[in-house]
Amino acid sequence: MPVLKNIKAIAKGMSITFMEMFQPTQVENYPDGPGPLRGARFEERYRGMHVLQRDENGLEKCVACFLCAAACPSNCIYIEAAENTETNRVSGAERYAKVYNIDYNRCIFCGYCVEACPTDAITHGHGFELASFNASNLIYRKEQMLAAAPAHMGANAVFNSADVAGGAPALPVQGS
Amino acid sequence: MASLVSHPDEVKVVSRRFGQGATNIDRYLELDGYKAVQKAFAMEPDAIINEVKNSGLRGRGGAGFSTGMKWSFVPKQSAKPKYVLCNGDESEPGTCKDRLIFEHDPHAVIEGVMIAALAVGSQTGYIYIRGEYRYLSIIMQKALADAYARGFLGKNIFGSGRDLDIYWHGGAGAYEVGEESALMESLEGKRGIPRIRPPFPAVVGLWGGPTVINNAETLASVPHIILGGAEWYAKVGTPKNGGTRLFCLSGNLEKPGVYELPMGYNLRKMIYEVGGGIPNGRELKAVVPGGSSTPVLLPEEIDISMDFDSVAKAGSMLGSGGVVVLDDTNCIVKFALRTMKFYRHESCGWCIPCREGTDWLEKTLTRFHAGGGLKKDIDNIQYLSENMLGRTFCPLGDAAAMPTIAFVKKFRKEFEDHLEGRPCPFERAGAVEQLPVLA
Amino acid sequence: MPDVTLTVDGKKLTAPAGTLLIEACKSAGIEIPSFCYYPNLSLQGACRMCLVKIEKMPKLQTACTTVVTEGMIVTSDNEEVRQARKSMVELLLGNHPLDCPVCDAGGECELQDMTFSYGAAESKYMEAKNHKDEQQWSPVVFFDRPRCILCYRCVRVCGEGMDVWALGVQNRGVSSIIAPNKEDHLECEECGMCIDICPVGALTSGAYRYKTRPWEMKHVGTICTHCGDGCKTTLGVRRSDSGMEIVRGDNRDKSGINNDFLCIKGRYAFDFAHHPDRLMQPLIRKNGKLTPANWEEAFELIGKRFAEIRDHDGMIGVVGSSRITNEEAYLLSKFARVVLKTNNVDHHRTADFPALAAALSGKPDSTATMREVYDAPAILLIGNNPTDQHPLLAWQIRNNVRLHRSRLYLINSQTIKLGRQAAGFTQIPAGTEGKVAAYLAGDDAAVEAIITEKNSRETWNALREKLRGEQKLVIIFGSEIRGNDVAVLVKFGSGVHGAKFVCLADYANSRGAADMGLYPDLLPGYHRVADTGKFHDEWTSIPATTGLTLPEMVDAAKASKLKALYVVGANPIGRLGLDPFLFSKTFVVVQEMFLTETAFMADVVLPAANAYEKSGTFTNTCGDLQILKKAGEVTGTKSDFEMIVRIADAMGFDVHKLVPFGAGERTDMGQSRGAQSGEADRHAVWLEARGLEPKMSPLEPTAILDEIQRLVPGYDFSRINLLAGNDQHTTLANSGPGAIQKPELIVPANDNLFSSGTLGRYSKALHSVMESRTQQTSEVAAD
Repeated sequence: MPVLKNIKAIAKGMSITFMEMFQPTQVENYPDGPGPLRGARFEERYRGMHVLQRDENGLEKCVACFLCAAACPSNCIYIEAAENTETNRVSGAERYAKVYNIDYNRCIFCGYCVEACPTDAITHGHGFELASFNASNLIYRKEQMLAAAPAHMGANAVFNSADVAGGAPALPVQGS
Repeated sequence: MASLVSHPDEVKVVSRRFGQGATNIDRYLELDGYKAVQKAFAMEPDAIINEVKNSGLRGRGGAGFSTGMKWSFVPKQSAKPKYVLCNGDESEPGTCKDRLIFEHDPHAVIEGVMIAALAVGSQTGYIYIRGEYRYLSIIMQKALADAYARGFLGKNIFGSGRDLDIYWHGGAGAYEVGEESALMESLEGKRGIPRIRPPFPAVVGLWGGPTVINNAETLASVPHIILGGAEWYAKVGTPKNGGTRLFCLSGNLEKPGVYELPMGYNLRKMIYEVGGGIPNGRELKAVVPGGSSTPVLLPEEIDISMDFDSVAKAGSMLGSGGVVVLDDTNCIVKFALRTMKFYRHESCGWCIPCREGTDWLEKTLTRFHAGGGLKKDIDNIQYLSENMLGRTFCPLGDAAAMPTIAFVKKFRKEFEDHLEGRPCPFERAGAVEQLPVLA
Repeated sequence: MPDVTLTVDGKKLTAPAGTLLIEACKSAGIEIPSFCYYPNLSLQGACRMCLVKIEKMPKLQTACTTVVTEGMIVTSDNEEVRQARKSMVELLLGNHPLDCPVCDAGGECELQDMTFSYGAAESKYMEAKNHKDEQQWSPVVFFDRPRCILCYRCVRVCGEGMDVWALGVQNRGVSSIIAPNKEDHLECEECGMCIDICPVGALTSGAYRYKTRPWEMKHVGTICTHCGDGCKTTLGVRRSDSGMEIVRGDNRDKSGINNDFLCIKGRYAFDFAHHPDRLMQPLIRKNGKLTPANWEEAFELIGKRFAEIRDHDGMIGVVGSSRITNEEAYLLSKFARVVLKTNNVDHHRTADFPALAAALSGKPDSTATMREVYDAPAILLIGNNPTDQHPLLAWQIRNNVRLHRSRLYLINSQTIKLGRQAAGFTQIPAGTEGKVAAYLAGDDAAVEAIITEKNSRETWNALREKLRGEQKLVIIFGSEIRGNDVAVLVKFGSGVHGAKFVCLADYANSRGAADMGLYPDLLPGYHRVADTGKFHDEWTSIPATTGLTLPEMVDAAKASKLKALYVVGANPIGRLGLDPFLFSKTFVVVQEMFLTETAFMADVVLPAANAYEKSGTFTNTCGDLQILKKAGEVTGTKSDFEMIVRIADAMGFDVHKLVPFGAGERTDMGQSRGAQSGEADRHAVWLEARGLEPKMSPLEPTAILDEIQRLVPGYDFSRINLLAGNDQHTTLANSGPGAIQKPELIVPANDNLFSSGTLGRYSKALHSVMESRTQQTSEVAAD
């Protein structure tokens, strides 16, 4: 009987629908979801905005070796190096990056810089909200990419009050 | 002064005047002193060289090169002054023969230098004495002053119309300076670092002049050869290895000391008869036949004749005659470490393999001995030493590498016993600070 | 020497007997690695990297100490050899810190290269590396001790090459360490050769340390702008806010006449270019104060005033520079005569080239190149102290004596350092150099003035005889010999077989300024202004009367006769100690990098580019012509060439007649403007606005090079060689007749190793070295 056959088929189809109704959802409700990521969720491997890491003493891991800049296929990393001194110690080695800019107009998120880094200083974070109406805002400074200082160094050592007063974010950049 | 030992098998040539007050020039003259040099005056230089050549005298410093040959390489005519050098920078661990010669018979060395100077036509001699032998240089200074006072040295010696000056020079405490070209650098007032060869010292040596440089024992043997004749001297030893040699027996022996034995004397006899055997009924474990730089011999390898060629055949070297005997209470790893400590300390630092190699071998052996060794370290030690061997600027690197290779090859089992945090089985418990095992 | 034949890796080679195996292999294209071997330094055999297998030798042999012999069979690369080399690298890396990411040498490190070649990537050791702290030896030399691999190159180049002997080895064995001469610091010539020669990053430059990495820079091989020797210095350039920043000067490119050499100025004193006092925009005096203005305003004002003064027959003076390029000097010379219609042109003279040109006229092959000073069998040096004033010349002489056993004869009123190399040193009373020339030339009466207690008549006789017997003698003289004395000395030289001359001037392009006619009485090529000749044909109108020299201009200014003064890259008030208020009634235009004493008094100051920021050519004191390559542009400055052309344009002069652009045989296709390198072609706007040929810009020095090549005798060089960066000798043999100049017009710069005229005042590196010197001296005095 074709009618029965059809009913059976519909029932089978609907059963899958009902079954799936109670499964956890795969759809991300971004940007209306809960939490700081507003519903966004990432695989570990996702290559988002770069994070410049710190070592266990809170010093920057980057020693300004320029290997990331050399490896970069889109030539978007600009570094100026300087030497650490007794009074101004920024990184663990002799040299640190005085200026570290990534031009996100050009970055293709290939991850070569991360691979090239001998000190594991540059990593891909999960930051992805990079859109801007002004291209010059897309050149990110070191301060915007640095990982937050460890707790014992203060909540957000990246920007001091003067920086914040000058327009720097008071909280660590999202996704980092 | 060290007390002297003796054994009936000894053939006293160089040590003839030991213990007889021969430091006094009058006493020395009574004991046939300065007769050889007077005899040499009557000989042609070539005749002297031939006599020494025929005696089969081979360098007593360690390399065992024919002394007569060495002298014959010096050019007859030279625009620059020629020199005769006596190498008294005796620093090889296990060797203490030159010390006795300087202490008991300094004039014999002076006489040897004089004869060498006659043979090669030199007017200046230097006696270089090891820095740590400061007290011996006082004896040598007195001997030289006496010789000058008698007119044996200086202008117109022995009324022959020839001039000859001999100076003593003290080292500053470097094993490396025992190497002939480094000794010359040191004598010239520079860092004791070997020179590039060729040119060899016989052509370009001290201050750029042709130079004969011989070990103190070699030179002290020369007067006896001139007096006694080459044939007599050659007969004492074995063919190609003429004469006698001062063997310095040390280590676990009943009667250690310096014995003058004919070349080719059996090593087993030397240990068990001359040296009186191992004390307290212990077993022989290993013998170092010629100073710390020579590869070690196992008990089953000691039935050899102690001459340059036979020992070389047995895979070691006669070296400078320092026989070090180890009984079964000794840890070979510790012995290797102690040897390496010496070489690390004495490396001049000129070339990479010796400078860095000795440092790493010492570091690795220290950890190994303390029980922090890994299985691959044994291979590493061998690998390191093999890479030093034959690639260094001077023989010091070889001297450090050769014994180490032998230790690892012949006593691998003992190295393995030190593995994985186990303390040295030969040390009292807690004597060695245990290191954590490194992964 | 006869050649010997040997076989290396199955390849048959021939090499002169006595050649080292490593060199024989190198010339056959077989690379043998080494750390301690360095050409022309003593042999070490210390690094054991050059081990090769030689047949019939039981052990591996070092190629750097082995001399080739007939029939030698060598294997330079087999398993055993590779293993030996690998193990050396392994051993070195044992104690070598692996801080390549921060090390300055990272990327141009010989140890890195060896590790890549021989693959000692895994460490066999577990123990801690031996550590020693880093030391600062001088303001410009740092020594990171653990990185040192003890190749002793620095010790040798300092001792043998520089004859300074400031470095040595301390301790022995694994604690061996290179140490400076004064316990913890260096007292030396600060040449930095040790840094350049260091195969690893142990010796680092205080000026460059930790600033960037080798591959991040553009390397521009150009000519040093300090003394008159013309060393090639390779500038490491990075982009920066102001356009470009020079971060390093070194001798990476060893193709110049200086080969391995570079002194403190060539290596560190590029930093004046980034001095904060650098002028970045034109200044115009308004209400008695210099106020910033824009370029158009400045050119308009200058053009108007110059034209006015010229048209009313007012007197205009032009002062050129010894540091501008040949093209600029030529253009200035032409501009003065053709546009300003005056012969009042002069510059700061430091040597008497017109006299030399007059004396050598018609004598081909009678000037020596800088390279010849290194090869000459005998050298006579009268006056000067090259160690301080001509470091490269001193290096050439020193190493000629050391390596070629050349005979050096010194005649000087001071005991100078080169005396150590001299076969004969003759001290004379100060100021009697001219008498020496006269005596050498045969005037026996002149000997009276130069006889001293030490040097009798007989000594002088013997010396003269010896010199007369020399062949290919290079006669080098400083500014002490000038005027007539030059001719007299040349007369002596003509009696010596193959003698050649070098006249020492103090600034980078002193010779060029002279050759290009920055004289009131001479045109380019030492042609007299009055002579009719090719310049009159080409330039059409040249005032016939001799112009004013610089002192005469000053007198004219005092008498309020000088209406305008145009100073291009010179600082007469500061350098010649003039009264600053002299020119208060004169319209003074100064093209300068800094607000110097002269610029401070000017009515218009135009910010100029320096020699590192423009292209062109320099002629060194020997007459060697070399190309300047532009390292980059600093925002807000213009080259002197461009400014001269723009002023001519502003005066209403037809630029075509000044710079024959577009009419030349060659076009530059825009390379030198940077049009192809991605740089903005900022000339294009101005060119197009005036409907000018865009193919070849009149603001481009190359445009006038054709004319220089055609008109200036001795400058008929090969353009391709020039562009390739080779040095070419310009001779004085076909020059114009020259003219005898008043000796007092020559004022030596009196610079030493650590000073460099006005430029030196703005170099932090030179200052820091001098400060540390005075500090040390005062400490010693306090002790």
